[in-house]
Amino acid sequence: MQVYLPIAEMSVDALLLLGIGFGVGWLSGLFGVGGGFLLTPLLILIGIPSPVAVASGANQTLGASVSGLIAQWRRDNVDVRMGVVLLAGGFLGSALGVQLFAALRRAGQVDIAVSFFYVVVLGTVGLLMVRESVRAIIRRRRTGGAAPSRLGEHTWLHGLPFKMRFRKSRLYISVVPPLLVGFGIGVLSAVMGVGGGFMLVPAMIYLLGMPTSVVIGTSLFQVVFVAANVTLLQAWQVGTVDIVLTMLLLAGGVAGAQFGAAMGTKLRGEETRALLGLLVLGVAIGLAWDLIRAPENLFAIGPAR
Amino acid sequence: MRWLALLVALLAALPARAQQTPSTPLLTADLSTDRVEITTGFTGSSVIVFGATENLIGPETGEDVVVLAWGPSQPTVVRRKVNVLGFWVNGPAATFPEIPGFYAIAATRPVWQVLPEEVRRSGRLGLDALPLRAVGAQAPAFRAALLDLKQRDGRWQEYAAPVTVAGGRLFSARVSFPDTVQTGDYRIEVLLVREQRIVARQELFLRVDRVGSAATIAYVARTAPLLYGVACIVLAALAGWLGSILFRRN
Repeated sequence: MQVYLPIAEMSVDALLLLGIGFGVGWLSGLFGVGGGFLLTPLLILIGIPSPVAVASGANQTLGASVSGLIAQWRRDNVDVRMGVVLLAGGFLGSALGVQLFAALRRAGQVDIAVSFFYVVVLGTVGLLMVRESVRAIIRRRRTGGAAPSRLGEHTWLHGLPFKMRFRKSRLYISVVPPLLVGFGIGVLSAVMGVGGGFMLVPAMIYLLGMPTSVVIGTSLFQVVFVAANVTLLQAWQVGTVDIVLTMLLLAGGVAGAQFGAAMGTKLRGEETRALLGLLVLGVAIGLAWDLIRAPENLFAIGPAR
Repeated sequence: MRWLALLVALLAALPARAQQTPSTPLLTADLSTDRVEITTGFTGSSVIVFGATENLIGPETGEDVVVLAWGPSQPTVVRRKVNVLGFWVNGPAATFPEIPGFYAIAATRPVWQVLPEEVRRSGRLGLDALPLRAVGAQAPAFRAALLDLKQRDGRWQEYAAPVTVAGGRLFSARVSFPDTVQTGDYRIEVLLVREQRIVARQELFLRVDRVGSAATIAYVARTAPLLYGVACIVLAALAGWLGSILFRRN
């Protein structure tokens, strides 16, 4: 069944979009991440123009994260104060990111830049995840115990000014690191069309030292609002959010996420993270290959603006 | 009585026909529709151009019919990929500010066989007769790439569909629009060619429009982008919330 996307100005198989939404939703439910990092490249792969894929991907991430946020909010797992600080950085970052995106679009380098961002970010995150989880698995096999926690460790980050008390996270730290983390995720969110959960969660645990119980809820809080900001800015300044595309992806995605989450409870933490890391790495390698191998056609056409 | 009435009618018609003969158009043409609607289920569409000629069409009589379809102008940029440190990035670009977004030509015989070059150039008959003026990179490879890519995605067509002739005088041609067709006013030209000259021409018009929800969405997104952005946020959030209720696992 073909459906016409009014902003992308092309028709796509609706079942294909529902399927992609379901698959990505399933994986995101399984691994507890938004899945935007898989969605946007897949959309580009099936021929959706990069600007539309990125903008609609952010819109989809917003919808997909809302249900998770509601669930976490009910369980009182959201550190609102930390969320707001992250968000302040996130708003600034995403505003800058959308400007960067618009500039790249004018320069005709959007496709390349988006792929490049994906390769660098996913490659780094994937490598770190695989390394960390493989180490944890080896450590567990060897000692039979849980991995030692780095919580409460003092680093140079704790010497920064503008300290603030985050009661729910049981932290008394400077607002500078969370602001910077939020800012960075905001930029990436705008350029890559992702929520950034897959980067935010490790950053919160290892950089900020937040307890795991509030990490998911607080990251969802940040992701929902940053994705909303990106959606608004992309719709307003670039004009590339395709709501028909978003809704089809969401329809498949929310269903898939529930099945994934049900399955995810059966997997062990380290194994899940290792699998997710491999998946992230795989996407990065695929995109890198596209950038490196000789293109079939040296020329490409596009609308002149 | 009836036969008498018929006779009178015939007699009355005869002089009229005799008068008409010299002014009988050499060519008459029309379209199967003057409006192509892009709906939510749009996957491309086609329009039939049909008509009749006064004389027989064909190589024996030397008469040929050419059908030309023009879309609104669509500035297009052609980029060439270059290898920078092992990565393929977009390099030099040529912008073609005034080229048709859609162009199709169909004919009973290729125009280069039946019309001299200056006529083809002035009438822009055939892809090789289109003036492709570029801003930026000027290498002929950009022009060649433009022609190649535009034809590949179906937005420019050269003799992709034939002009079929029935009974020597009735002709028809199908103009196919891909799903990526632009909205706007399209012009169809039907030409009658004899002895290396265009002896008759007729212009027809059709409009490509989005209709229904596709039209509304595109309209709101363009005219009220801020409102559209807010609507996208609300709709996505609602869908997520609804999904969490529908598929809640207890």
